[in-house]
Amino acid sequence: MENLLEIKNLRVVYKTERATGQALNGMSITLKPGESLGLVGEAGAGKTTTALSILNLLPRAGHILEGEVLFHGKNVLKMSKKELQNMRGHQISMIFQNPLTSLNPVFTVGEQIEMVLRHHLHMKPKQAEERAKELLESVGIPAYRLHEYPVQFSGGMRQRVGIAAGIACNPELLIADEPTTALDVTIQAQILELMKLLQEQHKTSLLMITHNLGIISELCENVAVMYAGRVIEYGSVEEVFAHPSHPYTRGLLGALPDMEKNQERLTSIPGTVADAQNLPEGCRFHPRCEHCMEQCRSKQPYPIALNHRHMVECFMYEGGDGQ
Amino acid sequence: MYFLRFVGKRILQTVIVLFFVSVIAFALIRIAPGNPATLLLPDNATEEQIQEKEAELGLDKPVVIQYLNYMGGVLRGDLGTSYNYQQPVTKVFFSRFPNTLRLTVAMMLICLACGIPLGIIAGIKQGTVIDFVAMIFALLGQSMSNVWLAVLNIYIFAVWLGWLPSVGVGGMEYLILPALTLGYPLSATTCRLGRSGMIDVLREDYITCTKAKGIPDYLVYCKYAFKNALIPIVTVVGSQFGLFLGGSVVVETIFSWSGIGQLLNQAIGNRDYELVQSSLLLIACMCAVVYLLIDIINALIDPRITLD
Amino acid sequence: MDKKIILRRIRHSRFMIVGAVVLVFILALSLLAPVVCQFDPEASSIAERLLPPEWLSHGMAGHILGTDELGRDVFTRLLYGARISIMIAVAVCCSAAVLGTALGLTAGYFGKKVDMVIMRAMEVIQAIPDIVLAICVLSLLGPSTLNLIIVLLIGRTPMFCRLARNNTLVYRNAEFVKASRSMGAGRAHIIFTQILPNITTPLIVQLSQAFGSNIMIESSLSFLGLGIQQPQPSWGNMIAAGRKFLATDPWVCFAPGVALMLIVLAFNFLGDGLRDVLDPKRT
Repeated sequence: MENLLEIKNLRVVYKTERATGQALNGMSITLKPGESLGLVGEAGAGKTTTALSILNLLPRAGHILEGEVLFHGKNVLKMSKKELQNMRGHQISMIFQNPLTSLNPVFTVGEQIEMVLRHHLHMKPKQAEERAKELLESVGIPAYRLHEYPVQFSGGMRQRVGIAAGIACNPELLIADEPTTALDVTIQAQILELMKLLQEQHKTSLLMITHNLGIISELCENVAVMYAGRVIEYGSVEEVFAHPSHPYTRGLLGALPDMEKNQERLTSIPGTVADAQNLPEGCRFHPRCEHCMEQCRSKQPYPIALNHRHMVECFMYEGGDGQ
Repeated sequence: MYFLRFVGKRILQTVIVLFFVSVIAFALIRIAPGNPATLLLPDNATEEQIQEKEAELGLDKPVVIQYLNYMGGVLRGDLGTSYNYQQPVTKVFFSRFPNTLRLTVAMMLICLACGIPLGIIAGIKQGTVIDFVAMIFALLGQSMSNVWLAVLNIYIFAVWLGWLPSVGVGGMEYLILPALTLGYPLSATTCRLGRSGMIDVLREDYITCTKAKGIPDYLVYCKYAFKNALIPIVTVVGSQFGLFLGGSVVVETIFSWSGIGQLLNQAIGNRDYELVQSSLLLIACMCAVVYLLIDIINALIDPRITLD
Repeated sequence: MDKKIILRRIRHSRFMIVGAVVLVFILALSLLAPVVCQFDPEASSIAERLLPPEWLSHGMAGHILGTDELGRDVFTRLLYGARISIMIAVAVCCSAAVLGTALGLTAGYFGKKVDMVIMRAMEVIQAIPDIVLAICVLSLLGPSTLNLIIVLLIGRTPMFCRLARNNTLVYRNAEFVKASRSMGAGRAHIIFTQILPNITTPLIVQLSQAFGSNIMIESSLSFLGLGIQQPQPSWGNMIAAGRKFLATDPWVCFAPGVALMLIVLAFNFLGDGLRDVLDPKRT
C-alpha cells in the first residue's frame, strides 16, 4: 500500500540568541493510510518539532536543514502557500498539547469550529453552524454551548472542542500532540476513549505523540521511540513492548510499574535527556547507556531490522546477534 | 448577565470618580488666592460693597453649604454663570464644543487611517523594511511635542509652501494643520501599540493552531489575531479621544482654534471661577463616560474581562 | 536574568546605543554650559537682536545658532534650558516612579478597600487631562518651579501606580509567594523581597519612557507661560517667544524645537532599547 506520510532524514535546528539547538537529526518515519502510530520520547526529543514540520508550521527560530516530508508522495516543505492551506486542517489536522492556550480567547468555540467548515468545505454560515453543533455533540458537548467562549469551558471540554475542530473535515491524518498531558487523569481516559471511537468511525490515520506508554498501547498499532531527534526503535506495539531492544526503550518500559510482577523497585534511566544544544558524539544515548561499547562513542548507529515488524538503531544488534 | 453586572459596577465607579472630581474642582477654586467678589467690583469698592457681593454670590456661607448649593444646581442642570461672558456656563461651553469635537474627530480619523494599519502591517512583517520605516515614523511621531509640531506645520505648510492658512477657525483648510498636529503623535502611538500587540499575539499557541487549520494568512492576521491585538489599541485611542474632547489647550491656543481648551485657558486667565469649575466638571464627565465606553467595548471584544 | 545576555543584547541594540550617546552628549553640554558658553543666557542686548546663525564660522565665540528678539544667544539659552528641563524631568519621573510603585504595591497586595480607595483616587486624577489640571493648579497657585514639579508629579503618578498594581496582582498569588508565606514570611518580606524584584523591569521601562513625555509636557506648560518664566530660558518659552518671528527669523523657534525633538527621541530610543533588552520573552 502507498504511504500516506513519509518523513525522510529530516534535520531541524532552532537558532536562538543563546545557542543553536539540534531538534531533529535525521528523523525518518512512515505512516500508512488508516494506521495509528505512536511517537514516544522524553521532553525535548523532537516530538512536537516533528508534528509542526509535517504541517510546515515551524516557528521563526526553526530552520529545516535537510530532509523531506512527503504527504501522498508530495513534499510538504516545497508546497505553495495555497497548497499548504488546502492541506492543513482539511487533509491533515492537529490537536494541540495545551487546550488552555490553543483556543482563541476572543472567539466563541463555535466560530473556531465553523471557520474550518466554512473555509475547507465551503459551507454557508448557517450550514456550518448546524454542522458545528453536530460535531460538538459527537465529542460530548451539548450543542447549546456553541456560542460560549473558551474561558467558560474546563480544560477537558476545551480539548474536546479542539478535537471537534480537528475532525470537522474528516482528515486523512490526525496529529495529536500530547492531547492529554495537560488534563486530569480521569479526563485523560475520557478523551482517549473519544479519540479511539472517532478514529474507528472515520478510519483516520493517527499520529499520537506522547510520553505516556500506556496511551500508546491503548491506541496505536505501531510505535516509534524517539531520542535526541531520531527514531531509535520502531515496530508494532506488541513486538516492541514484548521485546524492547534498544537500551533506552528498555529503560522506558522498566520505569513503568507492572502489576503482575512483584517488583521491589522501578528501574530508572541514569543521567539526563541529551542536551539539544550540545549533543554527544556517536550514538546520542551512549553517555547514559549501560551497554556502551567503543564504537558507540564515535559512530552513529544505523537502523537494523530485527524482524519485519521491528527495527532498532543500536550496535548491539550488528550481525544479527545481541539478545 | 455577567455583562450587565460588569457594566453596573463600572457605572457606579464612574459616579464615585465624578463626585470626587467635583469636590476637587470646587476646592481648587476656593484654595486659589484672590476673592471672586472683588473681581466683579470696581477697584475702589468699599468693604461693605464687597461683603454685599459675597452674600449675593453665597460666598459668606460655610464651604460645605456652598458646595451643596453648587451641586444642587448642577443636578438641576444649572452649572452657574460665567462672570466674563455674562451667560450660563452651559451655553458658553457648548457653543465652543463643536469646534473641539470636529478637531478631535479629525484627529481620530488620521489615527485610524494611518496609525493602526501601519502598526498591524509592521507587526506582521516584523524585521522587514516596512517594519523599519514604520518604526522610524512612530519614533519620530512620539518625539514630537505638540508645540514643536504645530510650529513646524505652520512653517512648512503656511509660511513656506503657503498652501494652508496658519491660524483661525473655518472650513476644512483651517482644520488640516491642527488635526495633523494632534493626529501624528497619536498615530505614532497606535502604530507602536498595534505592532507590539500583533507581535505578542502572533507568538500565541492559538494562532499556530489557526494556521494549522489552513485558514488563509490574511484572515489569520486581520481577523483572528487582530481582534486580540485590539484591546490595548481601543484603550489608548479611546482615552486619547476622551482627553481631547476636553480640548487640547496647546494646539487650540497656537492655532487660535476657539474650542474648549482655549476657552478654559482664557477662563483661568480671567479668573472666571464658575466657568473654570464647571468646565472642569464637564470635561471630567466626558472623559469618564468615554472611559466607561472603552471598558464596555473591551468587554465586548474579550469575554474574559467580564467572566473572570 | 543573566547579566551576560543583557550585556550582549545592549551591544546589539543600535537604537539604545544611539539614544544613550545622544543623551550623554546633551547632558555633558548642558552641564558644561557655563564653560562652553561665552554669553549670559538672560542678558539682553538690543543691538544684536535677531542675528541669524553663524554656525561655527566664528568658533565658540560667535552666535552659533543666532540671537533671539532680545539679542540673547540662542545656543546659550538652549543649553541652560536643557539643564532646567532635564532637572525637572528627573525629579518628577523618579519621585513619580517611587510614589506610584509604593501606592501600586499597596493597592495590589492588600486589595479590597485599600485597592478601591487608591485606584479610585488615580482615576480621579486621570479623569482630568494632565495639562488641564496643570494649567488650573499653576495659574491658581502661581507658576514656580516647585509648583510645576508638584503638578507634573501628580499627573505622572497614576501610570506607575496602575502598572505596579497590575503586576503585583499577578505575583501576589504566585506559587513562590504562597510558598514563602507558608514558611512564615511576613508581609514586608514578601512585598520587598518576593514581589518588588519581579515587577521592577516594566517599571524601569516605563520610567525611561516617562522622561521624554515629561519633557514634552513641561515644554508645553512653559510655552503657555505657566512653567518656567522668562527671562529664565526653557525650550517651551523660547518657542513661544520665537513664534512671532517664525516667518522672518525661524531659527529662534527651530533651535529649541529640534533640541526638544532630539532629546525626546533619545529618551524614546533608550526606553525602547531597554524594553527589548530586558524582555524576558525574547528568544
